[in-house]
Amino acid sequence: MGDTKFCELKPKDRAGVINPIFTCQPAGAQYASIGVKDCTAIVHGGQGCVMFVRLLFGQQFKENFDIASSSLHEDGAVFGATKRVEDAVDVLLMRYPEVKVVPIITTCSTEIIGDDIDGVVTKLNKGLLKQKYAGREVHLIPMHTPSFTGSMITGYDLAVKDFVEHFAKKTEPNGKLNLLTGWVNPGDVTALKHLLAEMQVDATVLFEIENFDSPLMPDKSAVSHGDTTIEDLQGTANAIGTLALNRYEGAQAAQYLKSEFDVPAIIGPTPIGIRNTDIFLKNVSAMTGKPIPRSLVEERGRAVDAIVDLSHMFFADKKVAIYGNPDLVIGLAEFCLDMEMKPVLLLLGDDNPSYKNDPRIKALQENVDYKMEIITNADIMDLESRIKNKEVELDLILGHSKGRWTSIDNGVPMVRVGFPTFDRAGGYRHPVVGYAGAIWLAEQMANTIFTDMEYKRNKEWILNVW
Amino acid sequence: MDETMKEKIEILADYIMHRCLWQFHSRAWDRERQNAQILGVAKQLLLGEEPDLSTPELKCYWLDGFHLAKGFRQRFDWVNQMSKEELATLMDGLKERVDYLTIHGSLNKELTVAAY
Amino acid sequence: MPYHTFKCSECIPERAMHAVVKGPGEDLTSCLPLGYLNTIPGTISERGCAFCGAKHVIGAPMKDVIHLCHGPVGCTYDTWHTKRYISDNDNNQLKYAWATDVKEKNVVFGAEKLLKKTIIDTFKAQPHLKRMTIYQTCATALIGDDMDAVAREVMEELGDVDIFVCNAPGFGGPSQSGGHHKINIAWVDQKVGTKEPKIESDYVINYVGDYNIQGDAEIMCDYFHRMGIQVLSTFTGNSTFDELATMHRAHLNVLECARSAEYICNELRVRYGIPRLDIDGFGFDLLNESLMKVAMFFGLEEKAQKIIDEENARWRPELDWYARRLKGKRICLWPGGSKLWHWAHVIEEEMGVKVVSVYSKFGHQGDFEKGVARCSEGALAIDDPNELEALEAMEELKPDIILTGMRPGEVAKKIRIPYLNIHAYHNGPYKGYEGWVRLARDLYNAIYSPMYQLAAIDISKDEIPLERGFRSRRMISDVTLSPEEANVEGEHPYTGEYDNVTRLRTKVYPELEAQRAKHQEAAEEVLVPAK
Repeated sequence: MGDTKFCELKPKDRAGVINPIFTCQPAGAQYASIGVKDCTAIVHGGQGCVMFVRLLFGQQFKENFDIASSSLHEDGAVFGATKRVEDAVDVLLMRYPEVKVVPIITTCSTEIIGDDIDGVVTKLNKGLLKQKYAGREVHLIPMHTPSFTGSMITGYDLAVKDFVEHFAKKTEPNGKLNLLTGWVNPGDVTALKHLLAEMQVDATVLFEIENFDSPLMPDKSAVSHGDTTIEDLQGTANAIGTLALNRYEGAQAAQYLKSEFDVPAIIGPTPIGIRNTDIFLKNVSAMTGKPIPRSLVEERGRAVDAIVDLSHMFFADKKVAIYGNPDLVIGLAEFCLDMEMKPVLLLLGDDNPSYKNDPRIKALQENVDYKMEIITNADIMDLESRIKNKEVELDLILGHSKGRWTSIDNGVPMVRVGFPTFDRAGGYRHPVVGYAGAIWLAEQMANTIFTDMEYKRNKEWILNVW
Repeated sequence: MDETMKEKIEILADYIMHRCLWQFHSRAWDRERQNAQILGVAKQLLLGEEPDLSTPELKCYWLDGFHLAKGFRQRFDWVNQMSKEELATLMDGLKERVDYLTIHGSLNKELTVAAY
Repeated sequence: MPYHTFKCSECIPERAMHAVVKGPGEDLTSCLPLGYLNTIPGTISERGCAFCGAKHVIGAPMKDVIHLCHGPVGCTYDTWHTKRYISDNDNNQLKYAWATDVKEKNVVFGAEKLLKKTIIDTFKAQPHLKRMTIYQTCATALIGDDMDAVAREVMEELGDVDIFVCNAPGFGGPSQSGGHHKINIAWVDQKVGTKEPKIESDYVINYVGDYNIQGDAEIMCDYFHRMGIQVLSTFTGNSTFDELATMHRAHLNVLECARSAEYICNELRVRYGIPRLDIDGFGFDLLNESLMKVAMFFGLEEKAQKIIDEENARWRPELDWYARRLKGKRICLWPGGSKLWHWAHVIEEEMGVKVVSVYSKFGHQGDFEKGVARCSEGALAIDDPNELEALEAMEELKPDIILTGMRPGEVAKKIRIPYLNIHAYHNGPYKGYEGWVRLARDLYNAIYSPMYQLAAIDISKDEIPLERGFRSRRMISDVTLSPEEANVEGEHPYTGEYDNVTRLRTKVYPELEAQRAKHQEAAEEVLVPAK
């Protein structure tokens, strides 16, 4: 123990990417933008930067989300395209009277040509919005997300901060918690709100995305969109505290609220698994002074009960590879350890230099007693090549659908978790956070392993009695 | 040209528009060539003449022209009743009409763009 | 004037001439929307970019190629897992996505070194792949990397690899189509003629403009092979890099999607004298004629007739079963490009549906000429549609189904209109005789879905029938048919397999084998001259 050689943190050693884990920054900002009510972002770049991201969200949720584009073409790329942003704002506002919030999200192309979108926003605020849209509440928020910096993770983090920075306004204390969920699914928000409701805690959730799972209504009235309002965002300055569940998705906003408005902030841990959910509840309790009620003790008990049935009989020493959003990957790894599994390979899809300072990663390095690799700037080929070269022997993969062929072609069972999950039905509906998430994850893992045992005729008879 | 001939031309032009693709190559000069060659072959076949199949290119025009003439004869029995003179007038009028629809009267602004 | 103004677009004068209604007496000289113009910012258009037109639509179906996008990671990530172009080599092109992953320092100092290292490392990581296409993106076009120079350098250093360079950045053109054009021309310029094929038949074609969506191209090749025709390449679905480099040796280019691939056919005609024959692979009647045309070029009429007779006899009764039940159903035919004209008329003729609207996301006016010419009176044709216009059109036209992409399909779902995926297909392939029946089947299944009936019920106020716990499609579709119509002797629903493509890959073609043997013999005679 304590010997760091067991757990190495290192970057991928191949140039380029084969099967990326993440997409680029603007996609993260776009994901944040659809969480805000009456908000339609304009992505300043080529049409593809929007069309395919919308398709990605469409695949994830089997729903449509509206995001606009400045539709950069050749002339704009040569001569600058700020006029196209002005036109886009006008056209969007004319045709979508409910739109109040318009993030203007940059891309690689428009950052390289150096379009001054902050200047455009100032100009529009003084001109178009004052004249043509006088009396209408419109917020234009520049968001600089060049695709060659960071990843969709930093893009999301930055957009959350930009939203908060634009709106947060100190007035009267509202007695609420700010809950920055990070990049999660509707099912996660439901699970988190349930925990807070049991604690009798009122929270501002960034973002209210339960409606991404929207109904098909007989009166055709429903569409999928986020429900976080301008007032919610304004009120974040007046909260009793901020809980940012993810270190890499929302923490900047929490820090901003702390430094600007003295709103106390706790960052992490991601409440995946029993232990991290416990810490989350203790943090909520500490911030609000509310006790953890017996109902949650029982709920926790049910989750522990379910997992105890699985862990040392089926999970013990099973080797797991995990890839995806960094907080998710780390949270899942921690949960796997609690369930007696061995996460042997963690893949983080970007080159964020602060991973090496992450206390959770340090803790893994200090305490893991078997060979574990944590690869940064990783791609899914880092997983595939290790399987093919027999550098790792895996019992299970935890990751999103982009790695589906690595599982299929190499015969390693995989639980779909994270974004995007498009090759399994309804993934977005199930939480990975909270006690409910712990149960769902554990049982998905177990059932996936069981099915694999049956396909491969690998001690499938063991389930004859259970 | 009498009214019935005009109507007949319109019927055949409509048949081409609904069924064929050869008249819609992307530039005016291509369309002129396609229309002349393929409608030319169809006219020859309807008049009982032998089209020139001596090069692959001519043979390819013949494929479309052959099926056009065949389609006319199958679907519009009145074609089979026409004299050679009438057929010649019909096909010349048809060529003029198709040229108008696809080239001279076309609203397609790309027809004259120099590069493909 | 036939121009249609959407209420939602009255405030954008630039949209005024982008939609037309084909009214009585209208023809192409009075009724044609504008097309292929720069997208109007902020409209929420459905267009993609020129990069995706080049890489995602045309380049990436090549099946033994490393498709390396030179740029930040998003361009490759976002266009990955969005298509169903399969191949017979275990779907290499679906499984992998490659990028140089350009970062800020590369933008500042140039990314050519990164490109070179990535090319080399990638070939090393996947040594079984020896062919590569590198795609420019917005970022690397703007910083001005010389990808051609890097490609030449690496080819010289590594010796056994071949690299194709595609310079079609996202901003390069009003729509995807800009990229189609650039990659077509680049391929002819750089690669066609650099490899020589083994000619194995007297009858040699390229099948151009088919991307093997769910196996479309393989279905068409089955017909050609049954006639003894050698298909040198399919541009580009299910083809190898090297096959496509031999396109110059075909006797005939058989062109399917004239939007994405007419450029290469035009160039091959001018440069190599290969004639271009435009065909329709969809619909019984048009396919009959198309196969016969190809056959006639080679004098294979009897062989074609045999296929036509067999296929029509096998599948017609199934098509008719569906057509009887699809009669009068209103459809919006809303593809990206070519199905606009390939389907507009024949789907009405053979399935009895009514096409109430056509649109194209990225087409040119030439595409609308074909589409408007082929669609019936009253149809609404829309260029570069946007979200609100599509919604308005659906509200006005009240279609029974829309044929479009996955995401617009989700928009339609919310207003209780089923959709069928026209890009990736629901359960294709849709080409060929059996494919056309599969399309009819999928339309029928969507339109008569019991779930969509349930979706319309408001249990808080509507009466619901309590006598039965289910309702089948047939119980819904056949209520308007007389017993005689509902039970026509010989007509029945689809009886094919779930996967009707894989078995073709091991099929033996006697006509083609005979041609091969003949050419093999001739080749041997050349090597060993007869005494």
